Amino acid sequence: MSRIAEKRAELPAWIADALPATAAAPNDIQSAAREQITQWGLPSLRDEEWRWTNLRNLSRQTLVPSAGSAVAEVPHPISAVLTDALVIEFVDGQLKTLPADLPTGLTLTSLEHASPEQRAAAFAPAATTPNDALLALNTASAQQGVVIEVAANTVLTRPIVLQWQDGVVPESFSQTRVSIQLGAHAQATVIESVLGMNQNLCWRNTVSVVTQAANSQLHHLSLGLDGDHHLLTDRTFVTLARDARYHSLNLQLAGQLIRREIDVNITDTGAHCDLFGLMMPRGKQVLDTHTRIIHNAPHTTSNEHYRTIADEAGRGIFKGRILVAQDAQKIAAFQDSRNLLLSDQAEIDTKPELEIYADDVKCSHGATIGRLDPEALYYLQSRGISFAKARGLLIVGFAQEIIDEAPLPALVDWLTKQVTRRLGGTTVAE
Amino acid sequence: MKLLDIKNLHAKIGDKPILRGINLTVNAGEVHAIMGPNGSGKSTLCQVLGGREGYEITEGTIEFEGKNLLDLSTEERAVAGLLLGFQHPVEIPGVKNIYLLKEALNAQRAAQGLDDMDTFAFMKLIRELVKTMDMDDAFLHRGVNAGFSGGEKKRNEILQMLLLQPKLALLDETDSGLDIDALKVVSDGINRLRGADRGIVLVTHYQRLLSYVEPDFVHILYKGQIIKSGDKSLALQLEAEGYQDFLEAAS
Repeated sequence: MSRIAEKRAELPAWIADALPATAAAPNDIQSAAREQITQWGLPSLRDEEWRWTNLRNLSRQTLVPSAGSAVAEVPHPISAVLTDALVIEFVDGQLKTLPADLPTGLTLTSLEHASPEQRAAAFAPAATTPNDALLALNTASAQQGVVIEVAANTVLTRPIVLQWQDGVVPESFSQTRVSIQLGAHAQATVIESVLGMNQNLCWRNTVSVVTQAANSQLHHLSLGLDGDHHLLTDRTFVTLARDARYHSLNLQLAGQLIRREIDVNITDTGAHCDLFGLMMPRGKQVLDTHTRIIHNAPHTTSNEHYRTIADEAGRGIFKGRILVAQDAQKIAAFQDSRNLLLSDQAEIDTKPELEIYADDVKCSHGATIGRLDPEALYYLQSRGISFAKARGLLIVGFAQEIIDEAPLPALVDWLTKQVTRRLGGTTVAE
Repeated sequence: MKLLDIKNLHAKIGDKPILRGINLTVNAGEVHAIMGPNGSGKSTLCQVLGGREGYEITEGTIEFEGKNLLDLSTEERAVAGLLLGFQHPVEIPGVKNIYLLKEALNAQRAAQGLDDMDTFAFMKLIRELVKTMDMDDAFLHRGVNAGFSGGEKKRNEILQMLLLQPKLALLDETDSGLDIDALKVVSDGINRLRGADRGIVLVTHYQRLLSYVEPDFVHILYKGQIIKSGDKSLALQLEAEGYQDFLEAAS
């Protein structure tokens, strides 16, 4: 029986023409990735991991590679909240500033100046199927980025903020790579905050590679709060050694299309990951998160909570895969996906995927899609609270349980205000 | 002064008539107890007064301070001073108790033409009330009723009453599911609500509550009608005879 190869759409010329001969990745890795992306083109609905997310709108554009002339436009709103943050500034994917006077144990290196070893680590994850086409594209293209290294036994009290201003130059695109390496027992908080500037169309394709040594702890936040027209495709690879803990908070309110993929490989006993997410699509936004957790060792745990609040014609997508490898016994994996539809045009797709090859495993998952609880609305109204206000309280309340996972109280307050503002409500002051 | 005046009230859910001609007048300063077996219409009466959707009023009138209550939405009834204590308070995780309390108080103040209460004054007031209900401050920062025990939920209902100081408090089986300690705290709270300008309606299945909160009037609700009214001795008689014998004798 012969198998007819499905013809894939070619990589759009504006992307193909921008592929550099060499990039920040080690040469052999870069050229292999270049070959892959040329052969695969962009992911399509026929690729399993892209069934719900259509990049057609992107491929029809003609965007220009960001050149580095753009300058930061506004002070980043988060710097007013986290006054002691170590801020790394990117504009249209170009590294603009690295903070000075770093705390002991922290090293920040521009990708351009990274050593061969640092580059090898930053570009370690390899693309294997067309589902990984954007990873291949990034590996083939990325020249800008940063390497964050926290030495063993270093406990960083100041958060590191990566602020991404995207779309300062309209209709531009960029490829960025971030490497976060934590030594044994190190602790750090990294907050990535994306601003879509001036309502400009733009696209950034980014990959982060997080490697955590034994007993290290990372809080990793991705905040997309502003801008309606930017596109972001963002893949994060996390590798956890023995007893390492990774805590992710993924909060997406803004953008035309945001696609996040979080791949966590739990490689040794005692390691744990928490993945929390809140997506609030409205208008015609598509906010998508795919997570994949691999339990590759016994006595490892994961805990995942995702929520979507979809209004107008917004679309939310969550797919969460949990794989428990053979002989990885004594696993506890919890996942839930709770979703709120606020309009008839809104759409939410959610899918848990459990693949379990061990037998002594506690895995649970659940997914719900619903509307606001009429009982709760009535209860609030019976206290004299207006329908509109009661509705607002319930929606913010639904979001609040995720926001409360932010690591710093000042950040929790600020994020609560952002979400409340986004819902057009007033903040309830305490 | 008449607070609540119910005349010949008939209500149904779907095709099923539940209330079949209720007459009840509650004046300021009075405490009324409405007792009845399961399915007699107690909760329906409470929900109809609260303005919940799904009940059809087919006959009769309800006036609250001389105004037609049925013209008012649920939230308008609350800010007008008619507050319903739930038999099953709803759990709302994510919405902090303190938000509910503050929003509710400020909604009431807005209806009276007052500004929002100053945050400092509000916190002082609410902390005092929390203490009187034998609750911990931590309650304020938990989700509304989320994960509360039965007793904690009912205390929370009374806490809201004490804060909002309704003209008419309508308490639907506030005593059910309480152990004796919680019952005492809840009863103390209700007794503190008593006042010359306030009416209280206790809807209950058991006489027990009425030993702690002495009613001026007791009404027996059966098959959607008040079949007998009297003073507190009626409740004791009902308790002694049991619903079945009592109802057989009465009907």
